[in-house]
Amino acid sequence: MGMNHMGMNHMGMNHMDHMDNNSTMPPHHHPTTTASHSHGGGDSMMMMPMTFYFGFKNVELLFSGLVINTPGEMAGAFVAVFLLAMFYEGLKIAREGLLRKSQVSIRYNSMPVPGPNGTILMETHKTVGQQMLSFPHLLQTVLHIIQVVISYFLMLIFMTYNGYLCIAVAAGAGTGYFLFSWKKAVVVDITEHCH
Amino acid sequence: MPNGIAADEMHFIFSDKAVLLFDFWRVHSPTGMALSVLVVLLLAILYEGIKVGKVKLFHKTLENLPNTSSQQLILGSDQDSTGSGSTSANGTRLRWFLWYLGQSLVHVIQVVIGYFVMLAVMSYNTWIFLGVVLGSAVGYYLAYPLLNMT
Repeated sequence: MGMNHMGMNHMGMNHMDHMDNNSTMPPHHHPTTTASHSHGGGDSMMMMPMTFYFGFKNVELLFSGLVINTPGEMAGAFVAVFLLAMFYEGLKIAREGLLRKSQVSIRYNSMPVPGPNGTILMETHKTVGQQMLSFPHLLQTVLHIIQVVISYFLMLIFMTYNGYLCIAVAAGAGTGYFLFSWKKAVVVDITEHCH
Repeated sequence: MPNGIAADEMHFIFSDKAVLLFDFWRVHSPTGMALSVLVVLLLAILYEGIKVGKVKLFHKTLENLPNTSSQQLILGSDQDSTGSGSTSANGTRLRWFLWYLGQSLVHVIQVVIGYFVMLAVMSYNTWIFLGVVLGSAVGYYLAYPLLNMT
């Protein structure tokens, strides 16, 4: 079945397993720590919110040129983030499908094995895999990189703590899952029920 | 922008004071911190459980596939059910759709809880982080064996 253990950790469930980077510090800063913080960090560092808020003024989105200042821009950003999250879910499903389709190089090798009552049994080993330099594997790698990048972008978008953008991420993920995983749930392989 | 902080110090600290996720979730005291760690722990356990729950739901939607070979296999050569076949097919189609909708909603909840846990860790409070780690461990330990029970 598609939802095996590899699928869970790697691509099926969530990209959360990728992330291990953080970029903000705890809100309450004790004055007993290093003295270099007397100016409170007004240098070139941005002020990042640490709680959810709803607003559309001066919202910085991922890149330095991308600042949202009006409701119209926020609506556009909402749609863009929604589509990005949907695309991410679709990419996950597409990769799973591609992986299954490309695993056609099945090698059987049988060997005789002595059975219980002196009979001889044939034990058949089936190996399924991809070659390293094959096109499907290279394609999978490229798609993997794209998936990792998009997953980090979505994480960073969620990290803006902007309520509208976070709702866009969640709704896009749900809609994407609904639209793309449907095919998987219907087409599911009758061949795969013996896992 | 409410409650902003300077992003120039990024390391884990042990502290009893934190603000987590929402404006009203402010921790001032050790008791509050213990309670918050417990909440975050339960959230992480829930997240692991939902991951397994989604696969279980997936199995359920498989069972309710609308008139596919699985149903034909089950029905076999039962000729009596052809009359009521169309209505039962519509009923199963709706049932499958509802199961699938439920699965999508569970996915949304999983995404949101995953992000909430990530943001809690982002507070860089060591107690919270340990709570998340412990919760993920306990959740995985409890939930994953249920995956193999079909």
